[in-house]
Amino acid sequence: MKFTPEVLLVDDSPADIDLTTAALAGSKRHLHISSVNDGSEAILFLRREGKYGAAPAPDLVVLDLNLPRKTGLEVLSDVKHDPLLARIPVVIFSTSQASSDIGGSYALGANCYLSKPGTLPDFMAAVQSMADFWFGYASLPDKEKR
Amino acid sequence: MLIEETVASASVIPGKSGALSTPAPTERASGGLRVLLVEDEPADVELALKALSHAGFEVTSDVVQTQQEFTELLRKNSYDVILADYKLPNWNGMESIEILRAEGLDIPVMMVSGSLGDLKAVECIKQGAADYVLKDDLTRLPESVRRAVREKLLRDQNKSALEDLARSNRDLEQFAYVASHDLQEPLRMVAAYTQLLAERYKGKLDAEADKYIHYAVDGALRMQVLVRDLLAFSRIGRQSAGVGRIDCNTLMQNVLENLRAAIQQSSASIVYEHLPTVTADGSLLLQVLQNLVANAIKFHGTEPPVVRIAAEKKGREWVFSVSDNGIGIAAQHADTVFVIFKRLHTPTEYSGSGIGLSICKKIIEHHGGRIWFASEAGHGCTFYFTLPIEKYSTSSDPRSTSTAEKNEIHS
Repeated sequence: MKFTPEVLLVDDSPADIDLTTAALAGSKRHLHISSVNDGSEAILFLRREGKYGAAPAPDLVVLDLNLPRKTGLEVLSDVKHDPLLARIPVVIFSTSQASSDIGGSYALGANCYLSKPGTLPDFMAAVQSMADFWFGYASLPDKEKR
Repeated sequence: MLIEETVASASVIPGKSGALSTPAPTERASGGLRVLLVEDEPADVELALKALSHAGFEVTSDVVQTQQEFTELLRKNSYDVILADYKLPNWNGMESIEILRAEGLDIPVMMVSGSLGDLKAVECIKQGAADYVLKDDLTRLPESVRRAVREKLLRDQNKSALEDLARSNRDLEQFAYVASHDLQEPLRMVAAYTQLLAERYKGKLDAEADKYIHYAVDGALRMQVLVRDLLAFSRIGRQSAGVGRIDCNTLMQNVLENLRAAIQQSSASIVYEHLPTVTADGSLLLQVLQNLVANAIKFHGTEPPVVRIAAEKKGREWVFSVSDNGIGIAAQHADTVFVIFKRLHTPTEYSGSGIGLSICKKIIEHHGGRIWFASEAGHGCTFYFTLPIEKYSTSSDPRSTSTAEKNEIHS
């Protein structure tokens, strides 16, 4: 059976979700992409609670920091403190280049911090190299039985 | 200068000798003089007040005898002037100056006393008394009070103007920071989606549409550079890596490394004499040197650029110079080159947003130094900047620049 990686995009900007999705589509990899627009939804999705009972288990979470209701750092902290979720790689994908955000993310166990580039070619290249790395070169953990 | 706290209550107590009853707040009489007397002799109080009212002052006054009363009334009311006797039963009038200082109040204190001798009088003035008037000759008192009050008013006006200026500068910096920071996000969207439009629909609409989209992309990208530079500019001094001992020779090696491509492309020679070790924020000072050297290379003439960096100790500061053999700057631009986003050339002649020199200026001023240039159009240019030795920089190199070895880098 061919492995189709599951990606969860967490971003409050529909424009960024579309742009990231377009970039991932451009990577020519066969991916399944889901998206949610705030931090609380992200946690519900990952725990398959409420309307997300049938949600797929992501192989990679791409997480924005500036989110309504629950910030990206709070989501990250919840994920890394949850034994069922902790092993899922989380890539922080944010405009912020503040050292406090970068350091704070790694301290909480982020697997990578990627700044959103300002121009389209750079944005596309960043997202595609992220997909190449995580789904082409990196070894991913087995999914937790839930 | 003392820092004055805002005294909320502007009430005064009508003059009752020695009274310390609860004051009824009254409106401050416009033009009236609010006097606090530190005096244990009622007759002397009368004389002083009489001298003032004869001279045309509309006086409201309180009289205190002890330090405790003095402090209490100062906290409760505001006064224009304090008349203090030097000798009091349990303290002396000079101590009132110390209390004012401790309370953070700036109110002129006139010593009104019997003869103390010249030495004591001078000592009073040294300690901060506005003037010294003999009880036996109160004719001087009104003029002296008038002068002290006028000086106080000037001090207040100066202080408030300075505070306004500082506040307005802070607001402006905050605005630049917030604006540039918050503009980045929507601007990134505009840039990305106009670029996506250009990529996906090029040739599918008509030639006009392609041109319009190109203008939109170009505008968004230029604005991104401006916003990014504005943010970098407004960040100077906001977040500091901290001040440390910086060997400027090492800094120059970093500059050469960072500018390697530009140096090679232009066949530039970068020459620096043995530079001092200074105390500064290294990453900021690196930006200054790098911007100045990069400019020197960018604005080259027909000859390959030769850029010399030197430092000379003059008095209590280091004077750095970065000189080139480039196109130079005409004298009439002396005031404008340091202005943010000010460019003297079109983007097709020379690239750049015009932020470099304003960043240099802000960094150098942040370090307590100055920056300027000397140039003649067509005959190269020398930028100078200073770093104070006392506050921020110290010399570790006793060798004079004339005997210094030279490091020369050719492309």
